[in-house]
Amino acid sequence: MSMPRRRLAKLPATCGHSRREFLWETGAGFTGLALLDLLSRDGFIERLRAEDVQKVQGLLAPRKPHFDPGATRCVFLFMNGGPSQVDTFDPKPMLEKHHDTKYSGGIEVGSNGRPIGYLMKSPFPFQQHGESGLPISSLYPHLARHADDLCVIRSMHTDTAAHASGCIQMNTGKVGIGSPSLGSWVNYGLGTENQQLPGFVVMIDPRGGPIGSASNWSGGYLPAAYQGTHFRAGQSPVLNLKNPAGVSVQGQRRSLDLLKSLNQEHFALRQNESELEARIESYELAFRMQAAARDVVDLSRESKKTHERYGLDNPRTEDFGRKCLITKRLLERGVRYIQLYSGGGHIEDTWDGHTDCISNHKLHAAETDRPMSALMQDMKDLGLWDETLFVWGGEFGRTPTSEGVGKPGRDHDWHGFTMWLAGGGVKGGQAIGATDELGFAAVDRPVHVRDLHATILHLMGLDHEDLSYFYQGLDQRLTGPAEAHVVQEVLA
Amino acid sequence: MASRSDPNRAATQEESLVSTVNLSIRMFNGLVAGAFLLGAAQVLAVDPPTDSAVPSSAEESQHWSYRPVSRPQVPAVRATQWVRNPIDAFVLAQLEERNWTPAPPASPVALMRRLYLDLIGLPPTMQEQKVVSEDVSPRGFDKLVDQLLARKGYGERWGRHWLDLVRFAETNGYERDAIKPHVWRYRDYVIRSFNEDKPYDQFVREQLAGDELKNATSETLIATGFYRLGPWDDEPADFAEDRFDQLDDMLNVTSQTFLGITLACARCHDHKFEAYTQREYYQVIAIFNPLQRPQAGRSDLDSPAGSHLQLAKVKQRDLAIVQQDGQIHAFCRGAASHFLEKLAAEEVETTLPKTVIDALKVEWEKCTTEQRQQVRSHQTRIVTALTPWLDQKQREACQAALSTIAALQRETPDLPRGYFFVESSPQAPPTHLLLRGKANSPGPEVQPGVPQVLAHEPLRVLEPSPRTSQRRLSLAQWIAGADNPLTARVIVNRVWQHHFGYGIVRTPSDFGVMGAPPTHPRLLDWLADWFAHEGGWSFKKLHRLILASNTYRMSAAWNDEYAAADPENNLLWRRSYRRLEVEAIRDSMLAISGKLDRSMYGPSMYPFIPAEILEGHADKLKIWPKFDERQANRRTIYAYVKRSMIVPFLEVMDLCDTTRPAPERLITSVAPQALTMLNGDFVNRQAGYFAERLVTQAGVDTTAQIHLAYRLAFSREPTIREQDQIREFLRSEALRRSEEKEGLNEADARHYALTQMCRVILNLNELVYTD
Repeated sequence: MSMPRRRLAKLPATCGHSRREFLWETGAGFTGLALLDLLSRDGFIERLRAEDVQKVQGLLAPRKPHFDPGATRCVFLFMNGGPSQVDTFDPKPMLEKHHDTKYSGGIEVGSNGRPIGYLMKSPFPFQQHGESGLPISSLYPHLARHADDLCVIRSMHTDTAAHASGCIQMNTGKVGIGSPSLGSWVNYGLGTENQQLPGFVVMIDPRGGPIGSASNWSGGYLPAAYQGTHFRAGQSPVLNLKNPAGVSVQGQRRSLDLLKSLNQEHFALRQNESELEARIESYELAFRMQAAARDVVDLSRESKKTHERYGLDNPRTEDFGRKCLITKRLLERGVRYIQLYSGGGHIEDTWDGHTDCISNHKLHAAETDRPMSALMQDMKDLGLWDETLFVWGGEFGRTPTSEGVGKPGRDHDWHGFTMWLAGGGVKGGQAIGATDELGFAAVDRPVHVRDLHATILHLMGLDHEDLSYFYQGLDQRLTGPAEAHVVQEVLA
Repeated sequence: MASRSDPNRAATQEESLVSTVNLSIRMFNGLVAGAFLLGAAQVLAVDPPTDSAVPSSAEESQHWSYRPVSRPQVPAVRATQWVRNPIDAFVLAQLEERNWTPAPPASPVALMRRLYLDLIGLPPTMQEQKVVSEDVSPRGFDKLVDQLLARKGYGERWGRHWLDLVRFAETNGYERDAIKPHVWRYRDYVIRSFNEDKPYDQFVREQLAGDELKNATSETLIATGFYRLGPWDDEPADFAEDRFDQLDDMLNVTSQTFLGITLACARCHDHKFEAYTQREYYQVIAIFNPLQRPQAGRSDLDSPAGSHLQLAKVKQRDLAIVQQDGQIHAFCRGAASHFLEKLAAEEVETTLPKTVIDALKVEWEKCTTEQRQQVRSHQTRIVTALTPWLDQKQREACQAALSTIAALQRETPDLPRGYFFVESSPQAPPTHLLLRGKANSPGPEVQPGVPQVLAHEPLRVLEPSPRTSQRRLSLAQWIAGADNPLTARVIVNRVWQHHFGYGIVRTPSDFGVMGAPPTHPRLLDWLADWFAHEGGWSFKKLHRLILASNTYRMSAAWNDEYAAADPENNLLWRRSYRRLEVEAIRDSMLAISGKLDRSMYGPSMYPFIPAEILEGHADKLKIWPKFDERQANRRTIYAYVKRSMIVPFLEVMDLCDTTRPAPERLITSVAPQALTMLNGDFVNRQAGYFAERLVTQAGVDTTAQIHLAYRLAFSREPTIREQDQIREFLRSEALRRSEEKEGLNEADARHYALTQMCRVILNLNELVYTD
């Protein structure tokens, strides 16, 4: 069934309508088939005949976007802990000039009463790259080759200086826990193309997860099917993927055959209960997923040269390289949304360079630069570049001042920081917005986290105001009730 | 269908289907390009749209759920033999209007399983099956209902439904995801309340104002933990905003859970669809505003749970103890100086801490509070250490004082610690309306109140007591009062929902104009009125009434004609199919494997969590204690609920959101669930125990094993076809296992096959869907 490409007039308000009206409002955003799935899930059409809808795939069946998208899949490179803008993509000559002097401006500096030092220039020289001449610091020699593809937003700002609420806001739009993450919204809106793999994959840092853990990839109030699946390197990338100890693949199949057969006996007497059939199907899908997921993480199928390009031959880049290479394989297989974490656990194991931002950023940039550049290059070579959206950044930035006089650390800065986008639908080789001359706060064309979210959804073909889910008397949205705007300059 | 010119018809007439269809029409009508929905429209048998007329009077124009409850007449029906109680008359009357007949009764086995799983969340044991089979008459099942309601498992099953509504969890979420100390006592309070059949009005009053009740006890203090169960950011971006979010959470959980209204939508502006003003929202906030969180910086603190009388008694006891401690101290002065001398000369050794030694050097009156506390907690050891230098008289005096202390402690034991907010002054802080809902934009001050549309008269706000503002008690009395139009309707609907899969109002926490209208409005009102009067707010009486009805005892038999016209089964022409909640699934598996540990109450247990999951945590070493299987085999309601790490088995099987009130569970069927059930640790463990149990109880005979397995899992004998298939599976699987694994003896190969069979049985649809 195809969808008429039209937009409905919005209801006058955001609060409280019944599920049925929610569907009335959002229904036009999906294909008829997908809407049927939603209706069915909502108990609205409780007893849809199996042949009327796709069965178990219902929740994750691919859906048409609201409009032609820039990209069909997304990779979010999450630099956990908060990378410093003035050391990466936001050069500040004035900082050189005022280096080692006291900051006297009016911006609230730092977090949680930590010591405030003097202004600190970046030790990483910036150079202009590509035809666009986009300035990138020396931390990113590999990425610099993609300069003409990067759309750097230098005027990001967020509402919180704390890691937990910062990560959660960057991922879910709210500073409070319990709301669906961006990846779940995308999955809910678009479904996924490969039913044998999760539609939303998360790979974390071996040093630990981000603060707030699974709240960062939670499906919130959306059905659990939309939440992020924590994917690992190794034999069992997805939880419970491995057969129980001692059960061979054939043995598993034989047990599943018995299960299916007995379930069908039971179903034969209850043929109108489509939920039963859906559950029977879910076991078949699980069996296929076992093979598909193992295949994805089987990097022995990639050449030695590829391993090297991703940095798998170097202990420093090995882990992020493996994640990027798995990401490549997931993208090739149509996985919708992938989030990679660089940094995990505490303080210096993340980008949270309180004590020594210089060594910290050297380390974490070096861990990620080559792998992510290789991934971007592969997407270009594979012809998937235009379908893939890349997002890079953390939960906030870092202060242009040091943390304590004469110390090389930098504190949290939520008034202004940098993120970049690249790939499908993105106009590369440009920097949007600006922080003040020292790099503290977004002053020109400020972009709030919710504007970024609106922009990412837009690039994926989803209207952030139309993509809603009725819950607790409200049409819930990723961008919330506050106004959010797509950053038009980002769009190609 | 009759004319639909009156918009209140849905509420006044037994034509629920019409009302639901009308809603659908509104939806379809709104779609200009609705053609793509044709498929759905056909399924729904949608009628042409109709216009609404202007209501004739203010009274009639009032939304149905805001009108007072009055008991409707029980309708007359043709098939009177089907009517066991008024519920049946209401349901049958609507079916008969269409000349429909209800589905035939469920089979005794199906009904038995349904009752067990509905009421206690566990399948019947072999012995129980046998007892039930001895009397399968309707009266026999009435008796079964009585027996099940008397079981402790009832509170464990129904208490969990309540915990969903109150966003129960044991940590605060966010960065530290800190423990809510002793919050499990609230969970135990809920279980006990259900098991004791505490009247619902009392249950409401205790949770809303347990500290302000005349007969407050430790239990009623713990009940007020209700307010404090939500998430809490101990490092908020903005403290004023955070404080306000906490108040908003209290308002939201209170208004949704007890009243079924979405008042929280009026925080920033007047409610767009309901008649609640922004001002009224803040009037309700004013009721909670005096509550304060006991905390020390970022640390969330618990408190001793007791009425002011109990607290005063403990305080008095402690004063008396301090006095005795002082006497001991005085008696020991001389001995202490000898002891200290010897100690200084290193002629004696002691394990007493330095603070205690220092305290011994000074007179009791000069001891600091901390020193006194140290002396208190080491008193017996002090006396023992000093005994060599005490004379007979001193020794006796010390011993007498120690026994006095022991007696005081016996007489007035310590109060249990609980997790609740406290209100510690009769003076309530001022509450302001916040412009655009922002904590930093205060508008005019407001006084406590409730939305006018719900109340016939303004909220009767009590005078402050010497200790609290009594605002919450005022609210509690209004909510639990006989005149509240919503309280009884909302709760009987919830009970109905858990027996039938869906409520009479299918939006169980939204009874407002945007919620779904009741499918059986008269039945709902009849039940609400009955519950608050004859029923005396007793859940158990309400269960008995519902479960005695033929409506409940129907089978799920299908009917193409009815299904075409009423696919949602709004008219209750059959039993709706619905998967069990994860708690009932997990507990059933433990019961079937024979490993269920029935210990009740107390601190939570920690189910197995795969190591890979712990990796995802910043503090991976600290967050989850080592697996203790016996503990973990307790019922799922005792599983620790950690907001940043929900047990994967529970999460994947659609456990509810723990951050907001959850009126219903979602039901999804996705591959990760199947992976969890097939390959996960829990199910495979239980499959192993289940196989061992079969061997122990049925011996090595395959047929006997299969029969026992079906009895335990499904309360029935296997069919011939099922037996044949399983026998063949066991035979060939054992054979193949021997081939796959060289040198395996036959018995081990057979046991492997049996374990695989058990795994299959635990995964069958029949286990998670009751007929």
